[in-house]
Amino acid sequence: MSPVSNDLELELKHLIIDTLELEDVTPDDIDRDEPLFVEGLGLDSIDALELGLALQKTYGIKLDADSEESRHHFADLKSLAALVEARRVK
Amino acid sequence: MTEASLLGAPWRTASLDQPAGWRCDAPAASEAVTWRAFHERIGAWQVLLDTLATPGRRWLLHLKDPLEFAAALIACWERGDSVVLPADDRPDTLAGVDRITHARLGDVAKAHLATPRGASPRWGKLNAERLAVSLYTSGSTGDPQRLNKSFAQLDAELATHARLWPLEGRLVISQVSHQHIYGLLFAILRPLCEGAPMAMSLCRYPETLSDWLWRLDRTRRHSQDAPPGAVLISAPPPLERLPREIDWEAAPRVLKRVHSSGAALSWAASEHACELLGVAVSEIYGSSETGGIAWRIQQQGERWMPLAGVEVRDDCHGALWLRSPFLSSGDWQRQADRISLEGDGFRLLGRSDRILKVGGKRLSLTAMDRALGGHPGVVQARTVWLPERDTRLGAIVQLAPERLPHDHAARRDLIETLRRHLLAAFESTVVPRYWRFVDAWPTDTQGKLSGTVVRRLFRDLEDRRVPRWLGVERQDDDHCRMTLEVPERLRYVQGHFDRHPVVPGVVIVQWIVELAREHLGVSGVFQRLERVKFPTLLVPGERVTLSLALTHDARDTRLAFTARSPRGTHATGRVVFHAQEVNHVE
Repeated sequence: MSPVSNDLELELKHLIIDTLELEDVTPDDIDRDEPLFVEGLGLDSIDALELGLALQKTYGIKLDADSEESRHHFADLKSLAALVEARRVK
Repeated sequence: MTEASLLGAPWRTASLDQPAGWRCDAPAASEAVTWRAFHERIGAWQVLLDTLATPGRRWLLHLKDPLEFAAALIACWERGDSVVLPADDRPDTLAGVDRITHARLGDVAKAHLATPRGASPRWGKLNAERLAVSLYTSGSTGDPQRLNKSFAQLDAELATHARLWPLEGRLVISQVSHQHIYGLLFAILRPLCEGAPMAMSLCRYPETLSDWLWRLDRTRRHSQDAPPGAVLISAPPPLERLPREIDWEAAPRVLKRVHSSGAALSWAASEHACELLGVAVSEIYGSSETGGIAWRIQQQGERWMPLAGVEVRDDCHGALWLRSPFLSSGDWQRQADRISLEGDGFRLLGRSDRILKVGGKRLSLTAMDRALGGHPGVVQARTVWLPERDTRLGAIVQLAPERLPHDHAARRDLIETLRRHLLAAFESTVVPRYWRFVDAWPTDTQGKLSGTVVRRLFRDLEDRRVPRWLGVERQDDDHCRMTLEVPERLRYVQGHFDRHPVVPGVVIVQWIVELAREHLGVSGVFQRLERVKFPTLLVPGERVTLSLALTHDARDTRLAFTARSPRGTHATGRVVFHAQEVNHVE
């Protein structure tokens, strides 16, 4: 793993925790390979919408929250970081 | 003797040498405060009121001292005024009442107090339909609502109580606020109407209660003027917390009756109180809106018996319907509680469902509470809607002591377990996101998990500088113990040490000073720290017990503190405060 993506992953962990106001989660609790939704971190459809908004605001990434494509990108932290690196405009 | 009633104004014709009030902690033979002295207090209040406004006004009245409260109340009534009783003395509450009242009377900020000098009272005219008091609901079922009570409504209730539980000159000792209907009726209006003395101050702590009962027991033996016994007006919080270590031996000799209201008393607490005080608790079920509905003594059965004149029935949903002389209308009214009728009484089955829409989905909070309550180790639970977070719920969960989480990992595991338990029956979007695990059910002084208590439990969500507050236990005016957790998202721990975040000592001290001001009323100016140590680092997610103790001398207040967890002592030491310079403001 490159140091860049390591920094980005930590940044995304903070983004997830702050956006969703997860009071009992620290960056260490988020495993890069573990599912973010349902299993693992246990996020749900409302969280997906809020996370989509935050990605748009922070990185200028546009997503259709319901599409299969975004589901794939939201699967785990690793894929989310890949998405941000590939598509960020900010 | 004519029937006790406010309209009969029995205080006007009371024997002036008999006691209206009783100083429970005064030296022997100086305990009694006579009706003559009480009349002079009524007069003193009328002198004040006459300087403030012509009769026919509404006044805000808040006064902790029961007899002085009674004097102010009667002064208003006899002058042709009515009063509004704020539920508490918080600035927002008072400001809300200011809008509908002429001025504040009593012991709150910007309030008028009568001079100590007495005066002759003036008697006026009371009539049945006149508004006597307005007071507020507790807000346990939503925002507090104002309710008006006429003299006729209050009298109907007082007469019923007097027939069922006659005071017969006994001393009325109260542990509840008379700003609410239960305290007002039982601790103030009943002794006034029945000519019984009331204790001169509220009895807030069990040590005080035991002391007062011992003193009364002694006085009774060598003074014929002493009250022949006492009646205790109490509530679930003080009764549940009666310590075994205190000497209650005098209680059965002195106490004729113990009343409890505000919330249901658990069977265990009713047995505990009955064992220590030697008298079974007479509970009253009712609300500010309805007045008293029914009563019971649990040692005689779980069933509630309707008060005389109150009619009760149920409907196909099990909801309680009520027709009562204590209501302003004579119609049947549906209540939020569910019952099952049994013989000439009923059992309470809890409240009808609390239904809420969360993220567009309809949810029964009651069902969620039941599901959480059914998990092993959960004593009871309440799911709450958080006004600032309308898409996410909070949950307050009381756990058996061995199940309490003491660190971040244990708390996360517990939340995960409870989430999985709920996901069997609920969609993930309605499962609570914010959890508060408590070892004792947090309530206000009325015994209710009120909106104020709920907001206190979740305050750290809105203010990332404060610890998570999980309840306080007050031993007396100078000692309390509370449970705190360090929020993971606390502003101060971020970036402190990147890999090993800890709470800085200066932050811990700041918390302690703020909590001492909140819970022990410390008002002095911070002076210095003494012998402060932070032996074990305090880390995010950690659960600690903070003990605070005040000592006073002529100049300083010293606050001793200790913060402990199973891992060790996190902070100990003392904070010294100087007494604040008092500015006399006209």
